[in-house]
Amino acid sequence: MQQHYGPSIHSSSTQSSVLSPQPSDTIVNVSGFVKRYKKHMAVDGIDLEIRKGEIYGLIGPDGAGKSSLMKAIAGVLTYDEGTVEVFGTLVDSERAAERVKERIGFLPQGLGLNLYPDLSVEENIDFFARLRLVPEQQLTERKTRLLAMTRLDKYRDRAMKNLSGGMKQKLGLICTLIHEPELAILDEPTTGVDPVSRRDFWAILAELLLEKGMTALVSTAYMDEASRFHRLSFLSGGKVLASGTPAEVQMLAPGSMVTFEATPQLDAIARLKIRYKQVEALGPLLHVFTDDTDPAAAMQSITSSLGIIKPMQLRVNEPELEDVFVALLLRQGEQPTAIEMPPAAPVTSNGTLAIEAKDLIRDFGTFRAVDRVSFQVKPGEIFGLLGANGAGKTTVIKMLNGIMPPTGGEGWVAGADMKTAGGAIKERIGYMSQAFSLYLDLTVVENIRLFAGIYGLDANATDQRLKWIVSMAGLKGYESSLTGRLPMGVRQRLALGCALVHQPRVLFLDEPTSGVDPIGRRHFWDILSRLAREEGVAILVTTHYMSEAEHCDHLALMYAGRIVAEGSPVDMKRQVEKEAGQLLEVATDQPGPALRRVTQAGFVGAALFGTKLHLLSLDPSQDEARLRTALSSDGVQVQDVLIRPLSLEDVFVYRVLVVERQEQATVKGAAA
Amino acid sequence: MNVRRVAAVAFKEWREVTRDRIFLLLAFCMPAVWMFVFGYGLVLDVEHISFVVVDRDHSSLSRDYLYRFYQSRYFSFQGELADEGEADAWLKSGKARAVIIVPEKFQERLLSGQPANIQTLIDGTFPLRADITKGYTIAINNAYNVDLLADHLARTRGLSRDEALRRTRPLGLEVRYLYNEEVRSTWSTVPALIMFSLMVSSPLLTALGVVREKETGSIYNIYSATVSRMEFLVGKLVPYVMISLINVVVLWLMAVLLFAVPFKGSLLLFFASSILFILTSTGIGLTVSLLVSTQQAALIITVVVSTVPTILFSGLIVPVSSLSQAAQFQAHLFPGMYYTNIVRGTFLKNVGPAVLWPDVLALAVYAAALGAIGYRLFTKRPSV
Repeated sequence: MQQHYGPSIHSSSTQSSVLSPQPSDTIVNVSGFVKRYKKHMAVDGIDLEIRKGEIYGLIGPDGAGKSSLMKAIAGVLTYDEGTVEVFGTLVDSERAAERVKERIGFLPQGLGLNLYPDLSVEENIDFFARLRLVPEQQLTERKTRLLAMTRLDKYRDRAMKNLSGGMKQKLGLICTLIHEPELAILDEPTTGVDPVSRRDFWAILAELLLEKGMTALVSTAYMDEASRFHRLSFLSGGKVLASGTPAEVQMLAPGSMVTFEATPQLDAIARLKIRYKQVEALGPLLHVFTDDTDPAAAMQSITSSLGIIKPMQLRVNEPELEDVFVALLLRQGEQPTAIEMPPAAPVTSNGTLAIEAKDLIRDFGTFRAVDRVSFQVKPGEIFGLLGANGAGKTTVIKMLNGIMPPTGGEGWVAGADMKTAGGAIKERIGYMSQAFSLYLDLTVVENIRLFAGIYGLDANATDQRLKWIVSMAGLKGYESSLTGRLPMGVRQRLALGCALVHQPRVLFLDEPTSGVDPIGRRHFWDILSRLAREEGVAILVTTHYMSEAEHCDHLALMYAGRIVAEGSPVDMKRQVEKEAGQLLEVATDQPGPALRRVTQAGFVGAALFGTKLHLLSLDPSQDEARLRTALSSDGVQVQDVLIRPLSLEDVFVYRVLVVERQEQATVKGAAA
Repeated sequence: MNVRRVAAVAFKEWREVTRDRIFLLLAFCMPAVWMFVFGYGLVLDVEHISFVVVDRDHSSLSRDYLYRFYQSRYFSFQGELADEGEADAWLKSGKARAVIIVPEKFQERLLSGQPANIQTLIDGTFPLRADITKGYTIAINNAYNVDLLADHLARTRGLSRDEALRRTRPLGLEVRYLYNEEVRSTWSTVPALIMFSLMVSSPLLTALGVVREKETGSIYNIYSATVSRMEFLVGKLVPYVMISLINVVVLWLMAVLLFAVPFKGSLLLFFASSILFILTSTGIGLTVSLLVSTQQAALIITVVVSTVPTILFSGLIVPVSSLSQAAQFQAHLFPGMYYTNIVRGTFLKNVGPAVLWPDVLALAVYAAALGAIGYRLFTKRPSV
């Protein structure tokens, strides 16, 4: 078997020489690719080159053209212009496509949707293998290994429909790779999966690719996964906005990210917006992208634009790739619509809590979906409820909304007892779901009027709220557009407007931002923080986009029906740093062997991020020395060791793994 | 064609069908239930026509006349009305389909040699039944006239009653029904129901089975794999053909054992042409499924293109020969008619390939054509 570790050196000084294109190494070559669906231009002239052994990423929001491009490369979709060459074969007909399919594995979009729900895990794998004529003996070997690696071996006989999201995703990966293709094309394999499963998935994928010398083309809508790729293209509106290694992309929009606290926050934002395009409120923190690469200059320019407001706890970081993408999008001239928040009724905060949950319990038969959940949300606060699918987030919301009676415990929403005042609660809250629950055949104004009618607003009030919503949500110019034709970001803001039509004091948002592009997402959060700060609306959000959770004032992490961690994003990160250490990023020339060596050396939880290793360390300087000796003894060259700030995803994964370990210990203890 | 790949697809499909309870129910219970329900329900014989009488004469002759209706198995006596005015209510409510009114002085007029008129009101909302009712009424009336005539002859000519009866019927008519000696409509409908059940269930199952993969996206497993179009289509259809074959056997047994329809012809011919018909009907399902992308659309289109024409044009209810010319032409376009000919021919008439070969050939052409269309329509590299 060919062992190939791929081009892997990514320290910024040497990468260009190592990754210089060698014709024999090119696996996919796309040039001038155009795909239209009737009159709609889905992909408009894309060039792309994928080389042997790399994980190539396609990043972009829904509708950016990722799926069309991937399907065309997999030979399962025709295209209108340009050329697609895979393994040196021009894929321009069904016949030509058939010739390369043997060497390709394709995982279509949609979590577990390409699997067969009534078939067991093993039967699913067997089907894919037999379709690919994998000899029975090899099938048995590979199956055993892959099932062990993904820890699915216990579930061999379980019907696929009874697997969790993360398990479905891993089964999908096994089925795609069972014939050991040279090129794996994975379309949004991590969408809709919780952070722990996502990390697991990336680790397994990286290991398999290294071991078999496979190449992978992977798409994602999560901007924070960009660093997982060797090289990537950022797609927007059917065009490539940036491509290259993560380091190269970073260079396209040089600058730094300044984080600080400033009060009053809204004044500070107003002042900063004059000069900076990217100003975000993350809870009490402000997050500003500046073009200055020098930290001192960056701080200086922020301080000067703030004027009399004094920033506190000023920190300067390298921008994340998402910040870079937003900067690039903004440079493309995509200006976010200016929002005006027209003055509304003054906030009447009488000191009562907006939401209070006290020991909420909900059983479904013998299964406890929600287990003694307590939390409080003050007026004007953004509260984030995090957790994997099935952790109990939606059940909590349903109970608080008075839709579902609790098995035990109490709850008050906007001053009403959820058990007795179901109807009253519904008048005081706004609810927006993932599906946006809009009528796509109605125009923007018709939708707003419909919701006003549902909540029984009179003609006068309806007109007032209509004006308010249109200006608040930046819907000017879209008033008579059909909702179905709106971009996702605009549709999302309309849904928010409709949820606010009756001026609720409490707003529930259930996974509100799936599929929206980064600028749209930031715009949305802008509105949310103004709603909270200016109007004093209490907002409860559920999400598994960890980058979004940063916007919340307060977070609660749910796992298996319980709240396992709580606090502000900063506190939660600080707590994990205290318990488990800081995040070290290690760049080496041979990531695969390096990972193995590091794991052997006793670093628990080390994982591959693109070409770099991530691990937690309580004593960075000592561990760095230990790492360097261990790796150099194996002939692995350490290029760089950096301390990176923890992300909320790191926090989530750490917390969940701790709880899982505790549970396993109790199970074992009980067994003994 | 690689048998292993075909088998992989076929096994997967079979497992999915047999594990999905609703699908399984659709596959095996639906045809049998239809056969059962329609076999008992779709009886076209007009019998037990409910009727009421208004007897204004109340004489022995009027009783004698009406008695013939009471006795007939085609009529079912519901009661005697005092007044003609009530008749309307009985007809409107549907409690009676016919009213027979005997006028005053019925006996007096007949005995004095004058003609009398019996008034019969028949519910004409359903023309076929009304016509048959009228026919029965006329027949009973004629028989009564003949008897009156015979009585008259016997009295005036001094003939014996038998002799008089013979003279009044110089021309006798002897009818023998062939193939369905008792002219039972079940004998004619039940075999055709085999056609109906297959024609509705197998395109539906096939269409849903293929479209389901398109809807979920699992069809991309096929698109992106090295399995050839032919291998996939064969593997995909095998389970549905098997299901339909099992259904043919079940339906045949139901017809013979439950409905006691005689099977006089060749089993070989019956089952061979059944296979052709199954290939045709699954081919319809396949073609529909390749043209649409959702299960709802597949369901609706399949019902429109196979169920409705099957009920109207296949000879299930109305014989093709009694359809209008345009309708006959349409009937020839749908495969149901040919299979109906074969099924009725083998069940009731014991006719062989010598007579049925055009129908068998037509089915073979349909099966081949639909297979070819399906193969042409299916592409592993679509444009959307």
